[in-house]
Amino acid sequence: MSDFNPVTLFFILYESMGVWLWLLLGLALVLLVGIVTSVLRLRRAGRPVKRPVIAALVVGLIATVAATFAVPAWTLAGPGALSAAIDYAFAFLFALVPGAAVAALVFMMAARRCVSRGAATV
Amino acid sequence: MKRREFLIGAAACATAGSVMAGGVSAQESAARARIVIAGAGAAGLSLAARLRRQMPNATIILIDAKKEHHFQPGFTLVATGLWSPADVTERNADYVPRGVEWIEQAVAEFDPDAKAVVTAAGQRVAYDFLFVATGLMLDYRAIAGMDLSLIGKEGIASIYAGPAQAAASAAAIDRFIETGGVGLFGRPAGEMKCAGAPLKVTFVTDDKARRKDRRGAVKLIYNAHNPAVFAVPPVHDKVKTLFAERDIAVNYSHVLKAIDPGAKRATYATPKGDVTLDYDFIHVVPPMRAPDAVRNSPLPWRQGPLAADGWVEADKATLRHPRYPEVFAVGDIAGVPRGKTAASVKWQVPVVADNLVDETAGRTPQKTYNGYTSCPMVTAVGKAMLIEFDYDGKLIPSFPFIPPLEELWVSWLIEEKGLKGAYRAMLRGRA
Repeated sequence: MSDFNPVTLFFILYESMGVWLWLLLGLALVLLVGIVTSVLRLRRAGRPVKRPVIAALVVGLIATVAATFAVPAWTLAGPGALSAAIDYAFAFLFALVPGAAVAALVFMMAARRCVSRGAATV
Repeated sequence: MKRREFLIGAAACATAGSVMAGGVSAQESAARARIVIAGAGAAGLSLAARLRRQMPNATIILIDAKKEHHFQPGFTLVATGLWSPADVTERNADYVPRGVEWIEQAVAEFDPDAKAVVTAAGQRVAYDFLFVATGLMLDYRAIAGMDLSLIGKEGIASIYAGPAQAAASAAAIDRFIETGGVGLFGRPAGEMKCAGAPLKVTFVTDDKARRKDRRGAVKLIYNAHNPAVFAVPPVHDKVKTLFAERDIAVNYSHVLKAIDPGAKRATYATPKGDVTLDYDFIHVVPPMRAPDAVRNSPLPWRQGPLAADGWVEADKATLRHPRYPEVFAVGDIAGVPRGKTAASVKWQVPVVADNLVDETAGRTPQKTYNGYTSCPMVTAVGKAMLIEFDYDGKLIPSFPFIPPLEELWVSWLIEEKGLKGAYRAMLRGRA
């Protein structure tokens, strides 16, 4: 276990995913920039971030749970392959990737809506 | 962004970058040694990558005629019908590190007394240090009536011979499940690579038959070569229990010695004499031994259980040849108990590389290999047991949160998604 340091894990991930790793990291960066921009817009418009955050968490959680049961198919196995708690825990961890992406998108969309509603009321 | 935040961010990126560029941290040696690596398989390539970085002034020569590189741990998944041969086939050229000379010829002769090897074309290559990483030879002809060309025909499967044969084996398994009958499985008596694979093929055949609702039409028999189905006692107990639960019969001390493909009969050597069994399907695992170039050299064990098949004599902790101290054996060819898996190579290579680096830099070599061997034992599609053990047969799990003797999807995840990336990183000396 001690052998799996972050550097080794990076190389394993890179060799597993190839160019997809950079695409995934690029997508994560775009989403991060989108979230930061959305927060700044909300602040500038004087709108609270609470509602977009709640919407993002709820939809993101639903997406993660749904993806948890789809993860075995990514490994060419059926959902029935999940049996022990450790199986579900790892499937959930992997499902967090699409879940977080969905949550980020929902946050950006909700924030945009909040900002435009605020502008309409002013 | 404020200037201070920018500088902190830039420093963090620079630190991460330097760590990435360094890869696996290791000592270096400035020695101008001439190092020959015989064999460009998993051990040879991984070793070349590490030594290239750790010994920048050394001359490193890799000798192997083979141009294709096979991810052998994936052969089971090809035989399951989930992966294609292309998923396990790569090019050696993509993994030979820059600054390493690759002589694309087979090694024909080892002359350790003169510190040289001779290639198939007659080229004599001298060395200061030699790493024997030739891999092993599948001796199908040691089974009377068996031939490589029979794989995929007449109910004969064998996943070891290569990607095409593993795919032909997958088709043979499917045909057997469709037609029904008796399926025989087993393993040879001697040392072999990935001793879990014969069990995996048995489990997968059972699972596929169940999924197609044809389990009642097939009778599965595993012929163990000795009184155990696996050399590590807790694993033996677990597999025996699973076989019993899945109605897989076991014959102990049965070693395949001949097959009659026309009559579909297999003859086994047993302590009570030869026994002949009829089959509709048979998974043949050939005896394995050292390639002729090694076997005909002074390098193999001269006595003991590893002598007959020509495995290179080596200290089991340092993998160093006791009679020729400038020679090391790595991977399948090493004459040590256990350790004939890609996972073993992952632990053997840093030991021999770091010890050579230390020795040539005037430091005392300290690394030792504990016999680490790993076998993600697939027990069904989507389930596996992540079994890891050492020379003493002690289970040594890498992940404390994954119980080794439980059938888990997370272990299958490692087999199906994790191993190939880890293997490639190992070939580049990064894992």
